[in-house]
Amino acid sequence: MAIPTVRTFTIATVLLLCGCVTQHPQNAEEVRKMTPGAFLSKVETHEINRSMQEIGATFRKRAPECLNVRVRTTSQTPGSYQVIVSVYKPTVVVTAERAELHLQRHHERGVLAVTKEPEGGYYLMVADAYPVDAKRSRLQFFGPSMGFDVIYRAIIGWATGKDLGCPDLTKTG
Amino acid sequence: MIRLPRAAVWLLGAGFLAGCSGIKTYPDTSPRNLFVKTEARSGSAFGSVRVSVHIHQVDASCRTEYLGTVQLNEPAVAIGIPPDRPSYLVFNFYSSSFLGASTGSINYETLLRPRAGYTYDATARYADGIYFVVIRESGARGSTGREVSQRALSACDRR
Repeated sequence: MAIPTVRTFTIATVLLLCGCVTQHPQNAEEVRKMTPGAFLSKVETHEINRSMQEIGATFRKRAPECLNVRVRTTSQTPGSYQVIVSVYKPTVVVTAERAELHLQRHHERGVLAVTKEPEGGYYLMVADAYPVDAKRSRLQFFGPSMGFDVIYRAIIGWATGKDLGCPDLTKTG
Repeated sequence: MIRLPRAAVWLLGAGFLAGCSGIKTYPDTSPRNLFVKTEARSGSAFGSVRVSVHIHQVDASCRTEYLGTVQLNEPAVAIGIPPDRPSYLVFNFYSSSFLGASTGSINYETLLRPRAGYTYDATARYADGIYFVVIRESGARGSTGREVSQRALSACDRR
């Protein structure tokens, strides 16, 4: 009697989890549409005292240098040992309307993908800088609400020009 | 049977382990032309950050050969990098947290071809999960020079 009960419980659990895991955004525009109100996600806005063009130029320089990386993270507790290898891919698009920074992440090792993964990896976040006037901009983030604080802080530092450092991507969720 | 003093046993063991790690100390060469200032804080009472720079020489075919490592465990460290030929510098920021249960290692890598008669001032900073390395070239007469851009190893055949 125990085996059918375990099998039934397992099937029910998998079905429930599949119901929780829906499609992930497949491009930046889908990130913008799907983030508001999504679980563990946020939309965050900052006022920046720099022009959108200056922000775009900084994104173009810093994003490839800091975010085009492969990261190996090791976590060890008394009961587990986990190695995760992740490849990050930044994309910067600057138009007359806005400067965009898209960040994708692909796990080469240690994490199982359960939904369709876009080319280059799952979208982690999108940052858009819009002009307010000649010297000010509005920076809007669409992304996770937890675990990626270092990336948000780094991008804000680039946008303001006050800190051009790179985020330690081994400190992300 | 040869009996060694306990201290000798420990030293031999430490030397053996150091050899196994693959890390060797970069030789103290002159002239010292790279001056590195290091600032590192993890941002957490339960974490720590160690900074080091691995130095590789680069041949005409852009192949690297590891020469050694300098631990940047002092606020200012002076290093001799051979002038007029490319070297590959890998600044490593190694962080660990909560009794070493989680560790992370991230690098800033760049080609550097020091010019003879010039000195290079580097700042390697890690604060609260953000790291930054900048290298500036100073002229022979101490004049403040240009910032040296980060260059990938693939650019080694381009001056």
